[in-house]
Amino acid sequence: MIHGHHRSRARFEDPVHTVFRCVNKLYSMWLQATYPFASSGRNLSIHVPCELSRRIAHQIKLGNSVLIRKGTWFNIVPGLDRELKIIIDDNCVIGRRNSISAKNSIHIERNVILSNSVLIHDHAHAFEDITLPISAQGVTPGGRIRIEEGCWIGNGSSIICNAGELVIGRNSVVGAEAVITKSVPPYSVVVGNPGRVVKHFDLTKQVWVDGPARSMGTELPRQVCGKTCPTRSPQCAAHRQGAEGHSAVYFNTQETTNG
Amino acid sequence: MKKLSNKPRARFEDPLSYFSRARTKLYTLWLSAIYPFVSIGRNLSIHYAIKLSRCVAPQIKLGSSVIIWEDVWLYVVPNPGENVKITIDDNCSVGARSTISAKNCIHIEENVIMATSVLIQDHNHAYEDISRSIRDQGVTVGGRIRIETGCWIGQGAAIVCNEGDVVIGRNSVIGANALVTRSCPPYSVIVGNPGRVAKRFDATSGFWVGGDAGRPVLTELVRPQIT
Repeated sequence: MIHGHHRSRARFEDPVHTVFRCVNKLYSMWLQATYPFASSGRNLSIHVPCELSRRIAHQIKLGNSVLIRKGTWFNIVPGLDRELKIIIDDNCVIGRRNSISAKNSIHIERNVILSNSVLIHDHAHAFEDITLPISAQGVTPGGRIRIEEGCWIGNGSSIICNAGELVIGRNSVVGAEAVITKSVPPYSVVVGNPGRVVKHFDLTKQVWVDGPARSMGTELPRQVCGKTCPTRSPQCAAHRQGAEGHSAVYFNTQETTNG
Repeated sequence: MKKLSNKPRARFEDPLSYFSRARTKLYTLWLSAIYPFVSIGRNLSIHYAIKLSRCVAPQIKLGSSVIIWEDVWLYVVPNPGENVKITIDDNCSVGARSTISAKNCIHIEENVIMATSVLIQDHNHAYEDISRSIRDQGVTVGGRIRIETGCWIGQGAAIVCNEGDVVIGRNSVIGANALVTRSCPPYSVIVGNPGRVAKRFDATSGFWVGGDAGRPVLTELVRPQIT
């Protein structure tokens, strides 16, 4: 039997959804009211259930209009310091079943979209001691991760930083199922495992070009300098040349790779 | 044909599982009765709860004996054009936590089994304008995806179509965590990221060729594309 008579457009949403939406709204309000977040913005939407412990909330900062879909897991490796570990800025969307685990710092800037099943870890399990099971060896010192504004991280990709700093440059695209362990320049498209740049935006010609920028080779550059350009504008000439105070990581890295 | 749901039973099932089964049954009945699907078959099993808005149901067609496991996300991008955007034919099984997101047309033919966490998406985010964040740029034109009869999609695989048609040929296997952005021939095994044909059925000799003795014969199939 085929129900052929339901051809009319849906005039109203499923009433059960209203219940879910109320639950999500209440849950978001509950979290904002009772969890000691470092700060949390207005218009937050956190869907039930999110694995977020009250114990770690004081090291998490959430911006305005952040949307966190259900099943997302926030973890902070217990440590002695009390500094901010996870920062999510305004208008970010965190998809379903993401796993965000910070030991040092994970900073997600404004307008970033994370799809479903994304993994962002700034540390890993240590495995060097062969006499102990890996579960007993603790975690590596780890690094810091920054995802700059306007990025889009595809479904199922992993961003793992074992040491140093990993920066995903502004408006970059990380493809589905990609594995990123090194920094990504701004305005580029990275796919595959291990991740490599397959497209980038040529700032001089103002077009998207296949392949990585010439001076960078196929490997993603490793971060050597933590400074960033204060303007962060692609048109900033000083930024492009890696001048003092403007030494954006990518451009400095190019010089080192060339030399 | 052997049905996926007819597994041999122990003498009695854990009584607690009756609650979840009853919930699934009720949820399936609720969806069939309330949601305005284009058409919906018999003997469906939709596990509680999938993410599906009633507004997109008029563009979805479900066959008989389809199993949709929990936490699946069926999404249709608002876009004029074809009436039916997502078609899931008889005896398909859509694994838990899968995402199917259609802008033009996604057709999953009969007897396709999908493992968990599969992504099938016929469009992408546009990213070309560097002066705006990707979030504000909307989606690309996208293409059409057809998965032919009898395929098996492995855990975590992603099938993404940026433009044109992507057809996964009949009885093909997509390996775990593979990324497919181009069409693949029938009777082949696709693995890796980007996906390559690791094995295929040779009709003249009647054997599966390539991929044995630990040294797969790899054929470049997919140019790395953004997804």
